[in-house]
Amino acid sequence: MKNHTEKLVAIYVWELPVRFYHWINALCIVILCVTGFIISNPPAMMSETEATFKFWFGNVRFIHFIAAFVFLFNFMFRIYWGFTGNQFASWKNFIPYRKSQWIEIFEVIKVDILQLKIEPIESIGHNALASIIYFGSFLAFLLQCITGFCLYAKMSTALLPKLFTWIIPLLGGDWQVRFIHHILMWFFIIFAIIHVYLVFYHDYVERRGVTSSIIGGWKFIEEEVAAKECQIDKNK
Amino acid sequence: MTNRKKLTVYEECLKKGVSRRDFLRFCAATATIFGLKASAAAQIAEALEKKSRIPIIWLHLQECTCCSESFIRTSHPILSTLLFDQVSLDYTETLMAPAGEQAEKSKHDTMEKYKGEYLLMVEGSIPVKNEAYCCINGKSAKQIIEEAAENAKAVIAWGNCASSGCVQAANPNPTGAKPVHKIIKRKPVINVPGCPPIAEVMAGVCVHLLTFGRIPQLDSLRRPKAFYSRRVHDTCYRRANFDAGLFVKSFDDENAKRGYCLYEMGCRGPSTYNSCGIIKWNEGVSYPIQSGHPCLGCSEDGFWDNSPFYERNPTLNAYGIEATADQIGLAIGAATAAGIAAHAVTTNIRKKKLIKNEE
Amino acid sequence: MAEKIVVDPITRIEGHLRIEAEIENGKIKEAFSSGTMVRGIETIVRDRDPRDVWAFVGRICGVCTSMHSLTSVRAVENAFNITIPKNAELVRNLMECTVYLHDHVVHFYHLHALDWVDVLSSLKADPAAASAAAQKLSNWPNSSKGYFSDIQTRIKKVVESGQLGIFANGYWGHPAYKLTPEQNLIAVAHYLEALEWQRNVVKIHTIFGGKNPHPNYIVGGMPASINLDEANAINSERLAFVKKLLDEAKTFVDQVYIPDLLMIGGVYKNDWGKIGGGVSNYLSYGDFPTEGYNDVDSYKMPRGIILDRDLSKVHPVDANSPEEIKEYIYRSWYKYSAGDKAGLHPYNGETELNYTGPKPPYKNLDFNDKYSWVKTPRWKDLPMEVGPLSRMLVAYAAGAEPQKTLINNTLKALDLPAEALFSTIGRTAARGLETKLVADWALEFYDDLIKNIESDSRMVDHKLWSGEKWPKQAQGVGLSEAPRGALAHFVKIENRRVKNYQMVVPTTWNASPRDEKGNLSAFESALIGTPVHDPKIPLEILRTIHSFDPCLACAVHLYDEKGSYVHRMDTF
Repeated sequence: MKNHTEKLVAIYVWELPVRFYHWINALCIVILCVTGFIISNPPAMMSETEATFKFWFGNVRFIHFIAAFVFLFNFMFRIYWGFTGNQFASWKNFIPYRKSQWIEIFEVIKVDILQLKIEPIESIGHNALASIIYFGSFLAFLLQCITGFCLYAKMSTALLPKLFTWIIPLLGGDWQVRFIHHILMWFFIIFAIIHVYLVFYHDYVERRGVTSSIIGGWKFIEEEVAAKECQIDKNK
Repeated sequence: MTNRKKLTVYEECLKKGVSRRDFLRFCAATATIFGLKASAAAQIAEALEKKSRIPIIWLHLQECTCCSESFIRTSHPILSTLLFDQVSLDYTETLMAPAGEQAEKSKHDTMEKYKGEYLLMVEGSIPVKNEAYCCINGKSAKQIIEEAAENAKAVIAWGNCASSGCVQAANPNPTGAKPVHKIIKRKPVINVPGCPPIAEVMAGVCVHLLTFGRIPQLDSLRRPKAFYSRRVHDTCYRRANFDAGLFVKSFDDENAKRGYCLYEMGCRGPSTYNSCGIIKWNEGVSYPIQSGHPCLGCSEDGFWDNSPFYERNPTLNAYGIEATADQIGLAIGAATAAGIAAHAVTTNIRKKKLIKNEE
Repeated sequence: MAEKIVVDPITRIEGHLRIEAEIENGKIKEAFSSGTMVRGIETIVRDRDPRDVWAFVGRICGVCTSMHSLTSVRAVENAFNITIPKNAELVRNLMECTVYLHDHVVHFYHLHALDWVDVLSSLKADPAAASAAAQKLSNWPNSSKGYFSDIQTRIKKVVESGQLGIFANGYWGHPAYKLTPEQNLIAVAHYLEALEWQRNVVKIHTIFGGKNPHPNYIVGGMPASINLDEANAINSERLAFVKKLLDEAKTFVDQVYIPDLLMIGGVYKNDWGKIGGGVSNYLSYGDFPTEGYNDVDSYKMPRGIILDRDLSKVHPVDANSPEEIKEYIYRSWYKYSAGDKAGLHPYNGETELNYTGPKPPYKNLDFNDKYSWVKTPRWKDLPMEVGPLSRMLVAYAAGAEPQKTLINNTLKALDLPAEALFSTIGRTAARGLETKLVADWALEFYDDLIKNIESDSRMVDHKLWSGEKWPKQAQGVGLSEAPRGALAHFVKIENRRVKNYQMVVPTTWNASPRDEKGNLSAFESALIGTPVHDPKIPLEILRTIHSFDPCLACAVHLYDEKGSYVHRMDTF
């Protein structure tokens, strides 16, 4: 085994709130997808028990709704953290308003997707392509929350779901809204598959500790890259 | 509740302490003012004494008459009470005695005599692609409804045809069928959806107007809240089976024979706003779910295009490939997995050197 | 000189019908019938799941509600070779009987009676005399003097209010009204009673189909399960409810409808027993199977055709034969690729829109050109009448019982020759007699259902419910007798979707415009020769047209927007 030629520095990229957000979000999505699937196509059961003594489907739906509330508030917290967290958590990463971000997006496509270039991209937090996709996923989160809560509004007296009832006639009725909600679920599933793969891919190719960074928060970055990308006190 | 039935002018006078003699004198004076003959005074007196039923013009446009048929099935009040004691249905092609010219006369008499007072009830949609798709007495549906709505007090759009276009507006909507509220903009339009609406709901809307003298409270889709604010699902007597997860899997299976929830048979109850679960049909005898058939969602806008009716999820039919959303989702998922596998292989080949370097 | 009159809208029917007539020497010389509304349902059901189609086509008509749904599930079952369980057949028969009972009674009292009954004349009646007359007619309990005087007071109140509502501008006082004031009063009382009764009989639909109008059907059976040990299914309470409604229906038909029919028929028989015959050919597909849809011999109403009013022979009819039923568009606002003169079997039918009429608002249509949205169907190029009269005549000619005896007895009671059947009054009478039979049959079907439930509670054949086992291509035809006449649906299915759907409906036969050779269809031909007392008042025209019980929404569903689609059925 060869020694690393470059000197690596450890950088604290993902702060604790971000890591919490990530894992709560992941858990919610898993729960929401599983319960969502059951709600959409429940298994038929034969039972001698009277309906009064059973509530399993009600429970499935209850879990779905609780997870939805957690998901929403967690998401709202993440937006807040986009304004108060460190530079890697900042909202500025996610909206490509600078030219340099667009240049990086095409770079990433060349390097990681099409593999036209071999050398890895020098970015510490999310690369620009990942960021824009995360931004897209935030929009999907939002739409999923809105469609979900407006469907839920009829069963609730709470203010939050009621805020979204206007969306139903806009999208053409409960049936259409439900369908959009269902289709978006597939976005989450496919997103998750690609997301997990790419994390492993980056770890495998770049060895920066991407996978563990979302648990511990630290990434290992080449010194010169770190110096260029952020003003980090090396002594720290 | 006090009976706030609209009093006739004569009843109003009596209530205010005016004697019959004074009332007749007033009528005579009115006749003189308008330069009428003395005999007209008697006519005026008679009209003022008895005019108390709300005149109604009921138009039939692109429809199947199921709304009229439902209306005549009302049990409270029964139709004859409504027709002969409470309203005056001056024009309805289904029941009126005269035809042709005399039928048109009935309509125009009411439109002139009760300007701004008559109710316009509409059954059916209005074709706009070519107005000749629906003509009565040489006039197109659009011309007829615009003329009749001009001086109407309010417009009631009966059924799914008049409130959202119904079956003729289903894809590809060959005649360009439009609901009433898309054509009539300047009058209050009350939508009473359903294919048809429940008889007692139709009568209920009329009775509300007659009893309280104003239109019932409407939701954002102009439906009376009294009848369209609850989902069929939330008022369904089989709801407990839904929460318990007891579902019918196939018509007439053991679960169906026990009356389990029809959710899996494609029931639209969870996305349909109507009173079927509460008022039920035909004097509360039953409703589709109680009789073993899933709700079709017939009071929802565009429900015809939410087919197939016996599936929980719509079928997408694009480029000749027919699949449900889940099948497409699975296909995309599989394609993603394949893409990932390919990508992983190329990564190992293309970035061999880089990976080696790192080791 | 001929005087032209236009009657539009024809009221007290379903849909939009326009009649124009030329009157010469007090008689109708020429008549033209035009359907003035289209919706295009056949285009809309294309590419849909065949199990859903019953709901779409059911919405063609809300008056004979459920007949199109029934015919549609029959067509799909025919395509997939599905045999429905015995219970489902009996329940469908019960529901069809309900349509007949409801539709015929409502037609007689609420759509047709005002042509014969002078409402205002009833105010002059003596309630005591009306009571005596009513008690002679039948045992119907609502016949006291007080009862009739209450009805009279009620009508009086409406008339004196100056707001006559549906009775405003009626043809009251017209010399063609022949009933005595007492007879008019009895009829008006029964008009109100029938209004009250009709909302009850349809509850049979609500029990089995969940609602009415537009009850639910499913391909392969009926949706309501039978479970005698369950509150959520058809159980003894539901069955007892049905029985009660059927008993009430029979009583109403026997004690009110039929006596009224005979009373009115007795007064008008001499004039109207000779007028309004029209075309001389009669078509019936038959209905009410007792041993399955495919066993035509088991039908309560036989299938067949009568030509030239020759009651000695019943000709067979084959809806699948490309040589028999054809539709023409020579006078209809459509276009055929083979030219306007071509006639096409529904399998090969084309429906291309071609509106050539005047731009609304218009005064008159041009009858030398196309003038209706209704196509012109022909059987071996002959015009046919369909409806209750056709059914009764085919049954009579086929020697079917109890039809034959019932017709003979009625003719004897009214002292009329058999020729009187071919008339306006014959048509109205046939409808009444048929209702009487159906009321009896319904009770038979009910008894059979009870008997069958004891050993078999199946309601659905699920073998072919899910699409996986369907053949890649299939086609079928559903035939039935709607209250208004012979109804046929043709379906072609490919890759689990409707490839093509075609319907030939009763009022298309009756209300269609003339064909290229100038042969008139039933409405137009029945009007020729009808005396008209005052051309401004079309009472006589209404009598004959209403005797057919027109249903125009059915007749004019045929239209394809794109116009390029050629319906084709290869073989059958």
